[in-house]
Amino acid sequence: MTETIISQFIAAGIGTIAFSVLFFVPRKYYLICGIIGGTGWLICCLCNQYLCLSIEASTFWAAAFVVICSRIGAFAKKCPVTLFLISGIFPLVPGTGIYQTIYHMIMGETDLSSLYARQTIGIAVAIVLGIIFVFEIPQKFLQKKKPEN
Amino acid sequence: MHYRLKRKVREVKIEIRGDNRMNREKEILDLAAQAGNVLLENGAEIFRVEETMNRISQYYGIKNSDFFVMSSGIFLTAEDNGGQMYAKVKHIPINAVHLDRIAAVNQLSREIEEGQHTVEEAGTHLEKIAAMKGKSDITRILFSGLGAGCFCYLSGGTLWDGLAAFAAGLLLYCFIIWTEKREKEISRIVIHITGGFLATFFSVVFFLLGFGTNLSSIVIGSIMPLLPGVSFTNSIRDLANRDYIAGSIRMIDALLVCFGIALGVGLMYILYHKATGGMPI
Repeated sequence: MTETIISQFIAAGIGTIAFSVLFFVPRKYYLICGIIGGTGWLICCLCNQYLCLSIEASTFWAAAFVVICSRIGAFAKKCPVTLFLISGIFPLVPGTGIYQTIYHMIMGETDLSSLYARQTIGIAVAIVLGIIFVFEIPQKFLQKKKPEN
Repeated sequence: MHYRLKRKVREVKIEIRGDNRMNREKEILDLAAQAGNVLLENGAEIFRVEETMNRISQYYGIKNSDFFVMSSGIFLTAEDNGGQMYAKVKHIPINAVHLDRIAAVNQLSREIEEGQHTVEEAGTHLEKIAAMKGKSDITRILFSGLGAGCFCYLSGGTLWDGLAAFAAGLLLYCFIIWTEKREKEISRIVIHITGGFLATFFSVVFFLLGFGTNLSSIVIGSIMPLLPGVSFTNSIRDLANRDYIAGSIRMIDALLVCFGIALGVGLMYILYHKATGGMPI
């Protein structure tokens, strides 16, 4: 079980780094991006499998974690939060949901298709909520010390 | 030749120093607009663009200025004490994302606030940033494949599936880079429909060649490089910051891209079905 967790973490981390290269993130931030992305994915998986949360709720917590880490990283490294946020959130973007929706639609399985469509929208909304709420709360904490980011 | 060039530069510098205030204001506002241009073009959020422009113009001492930033343009006006007005409109097309340029402009605006640059120096810096080369095409193609492979594995594929997705991701990004290189711009919708179609096509080909056992995972992995993560994230942040116009435009962009990919995948599957006579996938 531990091996699966480790290999998932590594795969998500490398995947995140790969996409941060495609978005032209400067080289010195690759490692942070990878760790944020990998841990975010891991949290999503663990919440879903072990805490028996729904996929939407797990995604929400994972997204919240990614945003908090991105903010801390941006604050520590004095660079825009977008750098870490866009790469780190990527593993959570529901590519699987989009695929399953269209696949079952083509196969004529309308029930499954609408189920996956609903799930995809749910995941997207979870990411939205995660980003919005976490950006709202600590901004006030950080702004007292320094108005940047 | 060299000497003449040097003299020319000196003359220009003297000219700038000796100019009146309005010209200086114009320069500062041009600098601010240029900084905003670079940020917006490369995928920054609206409030970051506005904030950076404000910081630059305020540091150099412009008081009455107004910026209005939308996802496809910057409008700015300023008024000096004599009541003379200065206005500028900049149209900015939606472009590929270059996060390194955003980081560089951010750093530059920090340095400006610390007083490290004059207006002219900042201008040359900004030009360098705008021309910053990213990664080479081959690196991008390789990393697209790597990302596709990793996400294939994450969506439940085996190692062989990952390899197939790696190859499909490579070929897909070759197509994307080809569309970037073309002189006539191709519509984003067309790119994503074709991209989704090609990604699925390559996946099916590798699947039929015997790489991998799980076609779904291969396709999910190989369409990953197309997904609109940037537009989606930026649109949420813009909407949260009450930049509704920019936010909704970026959201529409993200949705269109999603529909495009889905359409491409669907078309390929329909063709596949027709060709194989309803063979289960």
